[in-house]
Amino acid sequence: MSNLLSVENLTMKFGGLTAIDDLSFDAKNNQITSIIGPNGAGKTTVFNCLTGFYKPTDGQMFLHREDSKISLRKYTDFKIAYVAKVARTFQNIRLFPVMSVLENLLVAQHNELMIASGYSLFGLLNLKSYRDKEQLAVDKAKYWLDIIGLTHRADDNAGDLPYGDQRKLEIVRAMCIEPRLLCLDEPAAGLNPKESAELNKLLKFIKTEKQTGILLIEHDMSVVMGISDHVVVLNYGKKIFEGTADQTKNSKEVIEAYLGVDE
Amino acid sequence: MEKKDIIQSFKDSLFTGLIALALFGPIVGLRTASKGEGLFITPQWGVVFLLVGLCILGRFLINLNSARKTEITFFSKFTSKFSAITEDKAKHFAITAILFAVVFPFLPFTDRYFMDVAIMILTYIMLGWGLNIVVGLAGLLDLGYVAFYAVGAYSYALIATTFGWSFWICLPLAGVFAAFFGILLGFPVLRLRGDYLAIVTLGFGEIIRIILINWYEVTNGPDGITGIPRPSFFGLPFKRSPDEGETSFHLFFNLEYSTMHRIIFLYYLILVLALITNYFTLKIRKLPVGRAWEALREDEIACKSLGVNPTNTKLTAFAIGAMFGGFAGSFFATRQAFISPESFTFIESAIIVAIVVLGGMGSQTGVVLASIFLIGITEMFRDLEQYRMIAFGGAMVLIMVFKPKGILANRKPTILMHGDKK
Repeated sequence: MSNLLSVENLTMKFGGLTAIDDLSFDAKNNQITSIIGPNGAGKTTVFNCLTGFYKPTDGQMFLHREDSKISLRKYTDFKIAYVAKVARTFQNIRLFPVMSVLENLLVAQHNELMIASGYSLFGLLNLKSYRDKEQLAVDKAKYWLDIIGLTHRADDNAGDLPYGDQRKLEIVRAMCIEPRLLCLDEPAAGLNPKESAELNKLLKFIKTEKQTGILLIEHDMSVVMGISDHVVVLNYGKKIFEGTADQTKNSKEVIEAYLGVDE
Repeated sequence: MEKKDIIQSFKDSLFTGLIALALFGPIVGLRTASKGEGLFITPQWGVVFLLVGLCILGRFLINLNSARKTEITFFSKFTSKFSAITEDKAKHFAITAILFAVVFPFLPFTDRYFMDVAIMILTYIMLGWGLNIVVGLAGLLDLGYVAFYAVGAYSYALIATTFGWSFWICLPLAGVFAAFFGILLGFPVLRLRGDYLAIVTLGFGEIIRIILINWYEVTNGPDGITGIPRPSFFGLPFKRSPDEGETSFHLFFNLEYSTMHRIIFLYYLILVLALITNYFTLKIRKLPVGRAWEALREDEIACKSLGVNPTNTKLTAFAIGAMFGGFAGSFFATRQAFISPESFTFIESAIIVAIVVLGGMGSQTGVVLASIFLIGITEMFRDLEQYRMIAFGGAMVLIMVFKPKGILANRKPTILMHGDKK
């Protein structure tokens, strides 16, 4: 399996605080790589660096394509999603609550639709080429809604959905930009066991069916252990362990980081 | 209704009376009058006690009403009926309103005064619709919208008086200038949101007005620009005695000369401009850029994470909103034939924002209702002179009390997967 993402010597300092300290790890295509660690370990900061919300103090992040690799440091802001095709979800759900479910998924396809609408000109003239493209976008939205079983609620406001459905919707909304790398920040937070199981199914589906690597931050160990191919453990911004789920479970360092050391 | 409740609401009303006394006492009670030499204070406590009494009574009645704690009180019955009408039949309402607007000039009771008020209301509707793009859709609270109105009016006035071009050439140019100023304002405020954005846009509105006052060589300062050409009916001017080699409107159509011709023409002009604004907004809301505006209003960070360029999206909202402000401005200039910075004070911005917010953010029909309500009420009380602003304030308070989210606050999705179920 080929490398998708390599993070090399990533360091992020906020004034005197080193949130990430010389972190290196790889994530592979069609695999789920989990980043775990106690609260404040710097997991979300890693995501914010990867997705262009922070500019790292030092280090490199590369995204590998078939024949080339691009440095994520070069892209900031919206270009991470638009050019580099790295999508993310948020710890506290960030849907567009008073827009319908379908509209949420169409906003994710904004750039293609914008070009198809001739930067609104063809759209205003209501040309067929634009209407066809819009139909394709709706079809793509429907494809994903069918997968998470929310097609019947497509025209309802996203904010009116139950919490678990909002989580799933945010994930498929990120998938609508056709990402190479999908970063999920605690997708299972607040879900009941049944919803967690559904989430596992969805992530496994994305992993196997789509050309997408998944990077996952999670506290729910049933999710992490159930679906991760590779686990990276952080503590105080440093990588303390890296391996498969089983290796992680039995690692002395990891247990100490979570539970503390016997005095 | 228990005795305890009545005592409670009575106490509350007395407290209201106390506040009313503190307010009305100095404002209404002490009246300055000039007698012979110097000013004297004439107290008018009778009026004060009447007003305070009214406040106590009003508060007591409201308290009694809400203490009943039933859903079907007088007020809620009134408002629910109102919203039922407007939500279900918004489309019928729109068609009826447009038809009414089209035949309005020829109705028997329509006179010059009605036409002037109607033109004013339509101007505000157009401004409201223009600002609705910025505030209602993109969620950028712009308190300096009058700046674009001013830019449009001055561009039109300067181009028309300098080059003598016709209205139909100057109108798009004025729109382009206003859009340019929209982008100019947009750049520095890209990173601002909410209160901060409001403050900067407010300042921008004042900057434009102060430039207009002080740039004497170009704008003629506080004296304003006079002799702005009136619009012509496709080359036919509205004049009693046309110049050599010209045919005026009434001669061409064999009508008796009347000043109403021009007024009616202006009325239809602003009606068409306003409807174009409305049509454009309704269309663009359903396009990707419109959805991106609304998404930006909902959550800017989520937008970035989905690859939506917030800079371009915001700038287009500012530019397009400003463009319609500019169109309205050129109409204003050609209607008045005289403009001065006096016409573009902050209160204008405030009225337009009030129309958008009270209409229900993002609702096109709401803007119409709010314009008619606010401008109409203010006009109805014109005889009260300076007290008519009380009517304006009262109208705002009424809307806020009964419709806190605006007159029409329902939003329809821009695209449906399952079709319209209703």
